[in-house]
Parts: sequence; structure tokens; C-alpha cells
Amino acid sequence: MTLFETVFSGNDAVYGLTEGAVNAAIEQHGADKAVSFPNTAYCLPCYYAVTGVKVKTLGELKEALGVVKTLMTREMRLNDVFMSGVATALCAEFIEVLKYIDGAEPYTEPCYGHLADAVIRELGVPLVTGDIPGVAVILGSAPTKEEAVALVKSYQAQGILVTLVGGVIDQVAEAGMKTGANLRVIPLGKDVTSVIHVVSVALRAALIFGNVTPGDAANLMKYTFERVPAFVNAFAPLDDVIVACGAGAIALGFPVITNQEGVSTVPKSLILQPDVSKFNATSLEARDIKIKITNIDIPVAFASAFEGEIIRRGDMQVEFDGSRVDCAELVQSAEATEIEDHKITVIGPEADEMELGSKNSIAYVVKVAGKNMQSDFEPVIERKFHNYINCIEGVYHTGQRDMQRIRISKDAFHAGFRLKHIGEVLYASVKNEFDAVVDKCEVVIYTDPAECKRIRHEVAVPTFNKRDDRLKSLTDESVDVYYSCILCQAFSPSHVCVVTPERLGLCGAVSWLDAKATNELDPNGPCQVITKEKCIDERIGEYEDVNEAVRKFSQGALEEVSLYSIMEKPMTSCGCFECICGIEPFSNGVVITNREYAGMTPLGMTFPELASMTGGGVQTPGFMGHGKHFIGSKKFMKAEGGIERIVWMPKELKEFVAERLNQTAKELYGIDNFTDMVGDETIATDPEELVAFLTEKGHPALGLDPMM
Amino acid sequence: MSSFRLTTVEEFEAATDRLLETGAKVGADSWQMRVKNQTPHCKFGEEGICCRICSMGPCRITKKAPRGICGCDAHGIAGRNFLRFTAGGAATHSDHGREICHTLHTVAPDGNYKVKDAEKLIRIAKEWGVETEGRDIYELAHEMSELALMEYGKPFGVQRWLKRAPEHTQKLWHDAEIEPRAIDREVSTAMHMTHMGNSSKPEALVRQALRSGMSDGWGGSMCGTEFSDVMFGTPKPVDTEANLGVMKEDQVNIIVHGHDPSLSEMICEYADDPEMVALAKTMGANGINVAGVCCTSNEVAMRRGVPMAGNFLQQENVVLTGACEAIVVDVQCIFPALGPLSKCFHTKFITTSPIAQMPDSDFIRFNAETAGENAKKIVRTAVENFANRKQELVHIPQLKQKATVGYSVEAIVKTLDGVTNSQVDVLGTTKPLLECITSGVLRGAVAMVGCNNPRVRPDYAHIELMKKLIKNDIIVILSGCSAQAAARAGLMDKRAKDLCGAGLKRVCELADIPPVLHMGSCVDISRMMVLASELSKDSGLPISKLPVVGCAPEWMSEKAVSIGNYVVATGIDTFLGVDPQVSGSSEVTYWLTEGVRKWVEAAYTVEKDIEKLGDAMIARIEEKRAALGI
Repeated sequence: MTLFETVFSGNDAVYGLTEGAVNAAIEQHGADKAVSFPNTAYCLPCYYAVTGVKVKTLGELKEALGVVKTLMTREMRLNDVFMSGVATALCAEFIEVLKYIDGAEPYTEPCYGHLADAVIRELGVPLVTGDIPGVAVILGSAPTKEEAVALVKSYQAQGILVTLVGGVIDQVAEAGMKTGANLRVIPLGKDVTSVIHVVSVALRAALIFGNVTPGDAANLMKYTFERVPAFVNAFAPLDDVIVACGAGAIALGFPVITNQEGVSTVPKSLILQPDVSKFNATSLEARDIKIKITNIDIPVAFASAFEGEIIRRGDMQVEFDGSRVDCAELVQSAEATEIEDHKITVIGPEADEMELGSKNSIAYVVKVAGKNMQSDFEPVIERKFHNYINCIEGVYHTGQRDMQRIRISKDAFHAGFRLKHIGEVLYASVKNEFDAVVDKCEVVIYTDPAECKRIRHEVAVPTFNKRDDRLKSLTDESVDVYYSCILCQAFSPSHVCVVTPERLGLCGAVSWLDAKATNELDPNGPCQVITKEKCIDERIGEYEDVNEAVRKFSQGALEEVSLYSIMEKPMTSCGCFECICGIEPFSNGVVITNREYAGMTPLGMTFPELASMTGGGVQTPGFMGHGKHFIGSKKFMKAEGGIERIVWMPKELKEFVAERLNQTAKELYGIDNFTDMVGDETIATDPEELVAFLTEKGHPALGLDPMM
Repeated sequence: MSSFRLTTVEEFEAATDRLLETGAKVGADSWQMRVKNQTPHCKFGEEGICCRICSMGPCRITKKAPRGICGCDAHGIAGRNFLRFTAGGAATHSDHGREICHTLHTVAPDGNYKVKDAEKLIRIAKEWGVETEGRDIYELAHEMSELALMEYGKPFGVQRWLKRAPEHTQKLWHDAEIEPRAIDREVSTAMHMTHMGNSSKPEALVRQALRSGMSDGWGGSMCGTEFSDVMFGTPKPVDTEANLGVMKEDQVNIIVHGHDPSLSEMICEYADDPEMVALAKTMGANGINVAGVCCTSNEVAMRRGVPMAGNFLQQENVVLTGACEAIVVDVQCIFPALGPLSKCFHTKFITTSPIAQMPDSDFIRFNAETAGENAKKIVRTAVENFANRKQELVHIPQLKQKATVGYSVEAIVKTLDGVTNSQVDVLGTTKPLLECITSGVLRGAVAMVGCNNPRVRPDYAHIELMKKLIKNDIIVILSGCSAQAAARAGLMDKRAKDLCGAGLKRVCELADIPPVLHMGSCVDISRMMVLASELSKDSGLPISKLPVVGCAPEWMSEKAVSIGNYVVATGIDTFLGVDPQVSGSSEVTYWLTEGVRKWVEAAYTVEKDIEKLGDAMIARIEEKRAALGI
């Protein structure tokens, strides 16, 4: 018999039983006898969800059975199979509801039978937040009770809600395992039809949370397919009825994993896994459920409290230093097939094979794979390594790329911390934080000096160069979209950053690629796509689409912004900007100061004073908050003439931006060593002295039109 | 989501009618008018019983005159004509493949052409028993190019690619004596056999027709596809757009048309060249837009996501928009009509190949060695022509649809890997697809290919059949102009899943694919042969037993007949919507629709009623399922 025929046969059998049972009940109680499940507003919830009709009496139940029959078409198409599966489920609901006639209590400890609406409302929040990452439906008897318990416990440990149907209930009871809704293990009932009580939960969830109209079967099934992370584990032997129920589950989007040999398998839907100990991993992969790793298996603590911890030389067991020996840290995307998830390899000596106090090479390559992974995300993930490794108690990390420096404290070492644990931390953190794009992750840690040299020079550096080239090639013109960023609206509710390749967020932390990745990782999150199709004014960088977005994301507080002007409709500032620039009327230029600089500026105001009049998400023509990297951009106040307006910066900031700023000045105006013409606090903090200096240097701003 | 709907054939036709109004204004000719002039067609020709092989004739067969002057009857004449038709197609595809092999010989690290998919080159080299360890990839490419070129004229042995087929198929070929020897030889043999005074026995002529076809699909075409992938990259899923609306009013529109990607790849390169873009700006254009027509379009869409303006019978339409600065052609399926038509507009009709030279065109000869310069000159010519555009004639029909294309065999396998479960499945096989078919979730697959033909309402048969098939949970793989019909209608938009039966819809959702998969140009039908072989090997079933059929509902060219012959010879039942011009001979008809089944376990079905054609394919698929007990 083909799979389809099996489903049809199972469906016919259940229908026959149901018809008999309903007729017998009518004979016994009369057609007007009330039927209902306790504590639900959705009379016969499954039937109501699918058809939109409430059934309250046996007579109506009989009519409903006629409707169910119309679902049982017999073309050899999956639609017929799905509908027969649904019909089987509805029949099961009918059989189950008959058990409740006259307020009977058909289920006794430990079985629950029908679950009240209140239970669903309680489950709603943890399901949405991912605290309950999935719902397992285990059906039948495991080969042994030990396997049954192990499987149930494995799900329980992951926070997955487990429902049990059939023999498995006795198996876990015999093993002495406690069950109950509070433990997230709910035995439903021993008849196969009791599986409907979990289906009923899923369908009511669609009505309660998904606002699906009862009777809109197509959207109902779309909701459960896309949003209810349930799956079925059905133990052999599978009879036709179970297969028919399985068709119903698959119709709703719930894959079935079974150990029944000879079953006709269907990718991601009906999977044969002979090894019960692998049911868990197989099921999670089939339903795309990713478990948050809350407990990283390392011998020391892992928490942000340790982020600022410094390891002094005397306390240090070993160190790794990219400025002296070959080091590298790298994220590499790879094919899923090339990666073994959670594999951590150390190539070369471990920490306990290194001399106390020694300086060593290290290169760790984190290979990631995922359907939604893009190579542009590699550096975004990589930049988090600093943060991850620093959160380890007794481990300290600075720098990036091939210039990182790591120290492991004696205490951590003696607690058993080894290099492989860095792998554990990277693995768990990457998987947790980037679960939207990373499906599989493997870490290779090299300490063998020759290998480190190879990885650094042949793998890492070429990758870094390629990325830098890519960044350089990204211009405001070369991309199709920009991104909004409202990360800081918690502080500044009307502020919206428009992030473009040449204009990073004013906090300095969100580049265009970061925003892109943030958007991919969380499509409803703080960074949204802004199209740039309707240009209003190319000179100041004003777009109709950008204005629309800003209006929307500022809740109407902001009407229009330009991307490239500080005089006309400048972008607003929140409060977390790295720098402020403000016009300096005597020189026709602008002065920039940064948060770290505590001193006076030629404007007669310090950073905090300037900040107080620039922040808060309001437009202040003539003043603008921005990121440090924006200073070297060709788009920096392009509308007013660009970077040649810069007349003063704190010395430290000037040195920080010198290379890029000088390069931009060379490219835009043919000026060499532009920063030499820019004043700083060692030259002047008084406007007149500054102008004198600028005149002496022949600063181009002096010859430009006044800005006001 | 709700905004998605297919573009209808009626909308296609309304757009065409509007363009023809422009045509009428400028006094342009059109295929629609020429069809009228040519109708009714010569009945003897249509039935395949006019013989003009020697100058004693032409002879034509009637009841009163049942034999030609030499004594050849209708069966011999129809058979010869069919074989010659096949040989023409095989020669055409294979010569295209040869050009690709020659281009492969020019690859260099700093040359116009490079090896983009080294891994594939190494894979093929290993298949051919060529040493790959420690070798320079370019040196290897040159050796492979020479070996491939030898396949065209090897004195002994049969085609190397045959080894890719399942053993069962190879045995059938051997036993039927249709294993192709040297590629060119099968064309020569065909010409020889059909010369005056040689074969007139239908069985022999049909047998050689299969063999000539085989030399194309399992010879020249496969060379073309495989080495194009090596040089230009093996296609993987990429998003693009299709229909005339991809042409841009404010940009320089360059239309690439023909078949050989060597030219179009270079045009695409130089259209992105900053110097050319800057030049376009000085001419008042906002940029340079390359779009394609016919199979060249398929090639660059598959590899670069270059939009597809239209298929075969749209080639005049792109000029009629008045916004086409240049229509740049390489080889095959190019209407000579484009010459006079382009003269009615500012359009430059640029021919590039010695193979396809036409009056009223600018001939800019394209060589692999000087490809960069040639392409740059062509792009420059187009850009400079922007200034000559007659604004009053510009009308671009605003019809276009999104499409996800690029499903090479490699890409399909990779997509299938995406629905495996790493706890139980192996990767890199077609097994997930087989599981879908075996379980019944998918009923089967149809490979739909081929051209447009005014004998059939253009695109209508393609689109209606596809709609019917996907509704019945039959996945459709496409190439050539059939693929473009699908893309223009919107069937390659992933949202088209909602038009499928529940089974195919679920497959589309889980695998994140559109319900019809674009496998490439007409040369790329060789990819379909590889896919069928993989399905056979992974399932352990002969190809002919798989619930898979081929279909060419609107075919017109000699190439299509050659393709049909190798598809049938590979064991795939093939359904035609246009008569193969042999109906004047009951015997040739018998051999094609039944007789060859003895040799290759498959045959042709001809059905001009599109509705019935669809039903017949579904019925054949269900028969094959029943025979397997699935």
C-alpha cells in the first residue's frame, strides 16, 4: 500500500468508528443531548477552528460528521491526504468529546485529556518569547522505558513542552518520572484519539493569538505551519490510524519522526530515524528549532560582570599576542556539509603544554553555516569575539583581526580552563546571538606556530583585505537601500539615524553593514530598510522615501532630513554621539569635538555644553552629532563643501582620523596632509588665534562662502 | 503577498498590439504580418513529403504519384527530411559547444576569459581520467579544451560524456547502435545517408536521427554547458526580472540576443565599466541597462541575474519599444527581419559572428582573443546611439515579473541538501526529490523546453501547461524560451507556490524554490539529461521508469528536433505540441511514436490540443507511478 492509500485507509477506519460511536450515543442520549469539553469557549475547538461552526449537541455532531465526510476526497494528491488527515483529527475530537458527556471526567491522574483555554493562555507568552522553544508530541511506546525517559528528559532539559500519548505514559510512570503541566511534561491519554487535545491547543492558539477567523482553514494551517513549533515522535509500530493522524500533523506543518522501518519518507515532514537516542536532534532540525544555550560548559564563570577584568602579568598563566607572534581571529562562512556543529578542535599545544608566563601564537577560526548567512555578516560576528572572550572569568582580550591579545589567569588555568573552552564560549555565544543566520558552527583553534602563521597570512589577512576592499567599494550611490536605526529611542524617542555606507550611525557603533546584519537578524528590530528611489535634492542628500521613513519612525516628530547638510534639515542627534560639529563663523568653517575631550573649543563651549544644545532628537541647523569615522567620509557635510570646512579638532581626535581624512582631502581637493592645516587645542582655543593659524596655513575654508 | 498575480497571455498580447501600432507608424514589417502572407503553408512541406535533395526533382508525393523519380516513397522522403532536420540542429548546438571549447583554450589568469569554477573543471577532468593533482588550473583548462575538441573528430570510440548515464541506459544505447561517435561524424553520416541514392528505410533513418541527436545532447551541447560553467560560473539561484518592462526609459538599453554566452558575458562586464557608465551620463542617460532575449538571455540571467526582456517571438518587440539603443546578436534564432526593422528606429543591429551575418546590420566581429576590446566597442556604439533616440516613438510596456533563476544540477542538489536532516540523510544527492516523488507528495516532473512558434498562440501553451502541471503537484523544470515564458508570466516568482497543489506548494515552501525551475538555455537541456541520470542512479530505477516526461509545446527549430531525439533516446517520453513534419509517412510516424520504444524505452507523443497534451502527460506520469507501485 502506498503512503497515500495508508492514510485513506486509516481515515476510513476512524471515520467508521466515529460514525458508530456518534450513532450509539444518539441512540442512548437522544440528539438534543449537549456535548462539550470543559473550560473552553471554543466548542469543539478543532472543528470550530477548521469550519467556523460551533457544535453543541449530539445532533449537531452528527451533522458535523457529514461535513467531515466531504473532506475525505480520494484523488491521489497531497491535498486529499492532508484533508483526510484533518478529517481523522476531527473524528478523534468527536470520539473524545463523547467521553465527556454528562460532565464525566474520563481522564484521571496522570492523564490530562482536554486542556483548558487558561492553559493555552499561560503557554502563549513562553512560546512567543522562545522560553518554550518547541512542543513535542510523543506517541506510542518507546522500545524500552529507559529510552522513553531519556527522550522525554532530553526535551524537558531544553525547555520543550512534551505531551505524551499512549504507551509512553506508562513507561515514564513505571520509571518513576514525575509529570505534569508545571514540569512541562503532559500525559494526555492512552488512546491515540487523545492526541487531539494537543492539536486543539495549537488550533486554539491560532484563534487566540493569531487572530485567525474560525473557518479560515487555509490561514489556520498557515499559522500552525509558520508559528507553532510542534513536532511528533511516533514510535513503531505505526498502524493506518496513526499514519492518518500523522498526515493531519504534517498538514498543520508538524513533522513526524518515527522509528518504523519501511515508512515512505518525505523530507522535513516524515522522517525515519531508527535510533531513538537521535530523535531529539532529528526532530529539532526537522522543525528548525534552535535551543538557546544557557549553560556554557566551562570551568569558570561567564558573565558580563567580568568584561572589564584585567589580568596583570604576575597573575597570568599564558598570553597570546598578535603584535609579537602570529595570531588571528576569523569568522568564515562555509557550506553546511563542511561543518560539524559544536565540533571544537585544538591544533597544536593546549594551555597546559605551554610554559608558565609564555607568549604564544593563537589563531581561532569560527566556521559558520546557515541558510541566511552572508559573508557580509562575518565581520559583524567577529567583532563580538572581544566581548565574548572578555566575559570569561579570568580571561582578558583586546584588539581584533590579527592583532588580538589574550591573557589567561593562573586562577582560571588552575580551575581547569583550557583553550578548548574559548572554543566553547565562541560556539555558544555565536549560536545564541546569531541564531537567525547561524545554523551550524564549528571552531578550530590553532596554536601550532607554523599553522598560525599559515592561517594568519594565507587565510585571515587575504580575507581582511577583501573585506576592506568591499567596504571601500560601498558608497551611498552603490547600494540600493539605507537603514534606519532607532536603537537609542529608549533615551531619545524622536531621534532616527539614517545609516548609509558613507555615514555610519552617530554613536559610531552602527555601520551600514551592521545595520544590514541587524535587520537580517531581527527583521522587526531597530534597523529597517529605507529605500532611496525618490531623490528630491541630490546636493543635500534628501529623499522622499527617507523623509517618509523618518516621519514614521519618529512618530511624526521629524518631517524632513538631509543626509549631507548640517545647515539644511540636518539629521537629528540623540545623546550618544561620539562627536559634535558646529559652525565657527569667523573662519567659515566647523569645529569638531569629541566626547573624550574635556577641554574648551574655539566655539567657547565644551563637549557637554555643545551636547546639551544638540541632543534630544531635535534638528539644530549648524550643529550635528556624528560618529568619528564619518569625519573622513566624502559625504561629511558635502552640501556645505565637505571636509575642507573642518578647521579645528582636539589633537587626539585629529590623529585618530588623520589617515582617512588626509586621503579624502587628497582625493576631493588634491590637498596633501590636510590635517596639518587643522587647528587643535595645542594651537588655539580662541577663535582669533585660530583664524590667524588658518590664514598662515592657507586653510581652504577661509576662501569659501560663509555658511550662514 | 496579496499583490502577486500572474501576467496573462492577454496582457502580453495587448502590449504587443500597442507596439505594433508604433510599428505601423514607422512602416515596420512584423512576424505577425509575415505569418499571414505565408499562410497557408505548403502542405507537402508540412507533411514532410517534398524531396528536393537532387535536381531531378523537387518531387512530391501524392496519391497519383506515390514515388519520386528515383523511386523513393513517402516514408523514405519523410525519413530523410527528418534526419536532415535533426542533423541541422545537432550541428548548430554542437558548433556552439565547439566555440565554447575554443574559448576555453584562450583562458588565462589575466585574459579576457578566466576559469571561474575551478572545482567543476577538476571534477570533469577526473571524470575524463585526466591527472589533476598539483596542476596549474589554466594548464588543465587548456588540456581539457583540446580533449573536448577531439570529441568532435575522434576517429575511434564514442562520446566521453556517455559514461555519465546509468549503466542500463548505456547498454540500451550500445545495443541499439546509437552511441554517438565523433560529434561531427554523426552530422556527416546523417548528410551522407540522406544524399541521393542512399538510405530510404525509415527505421535506419530514424535510428541515425537518434544517434545524431545523441551527438548533440551527450556531446556538443554538454561540452557547451559544462565548459561555459567552468568559464562563467556554474549557475546558482539568483533573483532577476522578466518581460519588456525591464527595459529602462532613462537608460541606454542594450539587448543581447542569440545563444553563445562568450559575447554577452563580456557585454555585461563592459556595461558596468565606470568609463562607459560615465559616457552614458554625458549622453544624458542615467546608466546602461543590459537585458536579454532568447537563450543568450537565459545564459546571463542564470549566471548574473541580468533581466530577461523576452523570448524568441519578442525579439522584434524590443526594437519596437523605440528604446533599444542596440540589439547585439551572436548566433541562432535571430530574425533577419531585425535588419530592416532596426532601420525604422535609431536601433543599431549589431551582428558579431561570422556564423550569423545579415544585411542591414553593423558587423563588429567578435573574437575570443580580442573579446574585451570588441565588447567595449559594442557598448560604446550603443551608448553613443542614445542621443539618436526618437522620444516620440518610445513606449516600453510596463509589464514585468520577479523571477528566481539559476537552477543548474549542482544548484538543485544543493537546494535539496537544504531539506535533508543531517541526522539521517546523506548530502549531495537527488534523494530528497525522489522521496517526494515516491511518497506521492510530488506526482512527477516535466521537463518543458523549446521555442515559440506562431502555429501556437505564443507562450499560451507553455504557460497553460505549466499552470496545469503545478496544480497537479508536478514539478516543472525549464529551459530555453519556455523558461522565459514562465518568468514573464510570473511562474518563477516564489509566490507562485500558491498556484500549486498542496504537495508542490509544501515542497516550494520547505525548499524555498519557485514551482518551475529555470535550468538554462537550450544547450543546457544537457543539464536535464544529467539530472535524469542522477535520479536514476540514486533511485536504482531506469530513467524510463521514473515518472518524468519531456515536453516541447511550441517548438520550431531544427535544434528542437535534435533535442527531442536525444531526450527520447535517453529514455524520457516526449510530448510535442507541434507536428514534426513527418505526417505524410505512416511508417516514420510509427517509428517516432512507437517503434523507437523498443530501443530506448521511450517515444514521442504528438498532440496539438494543449488541454489534451497536458492530460496526456499527467496520465503518462500516473501510469509510470502505477507501474512502480507508488
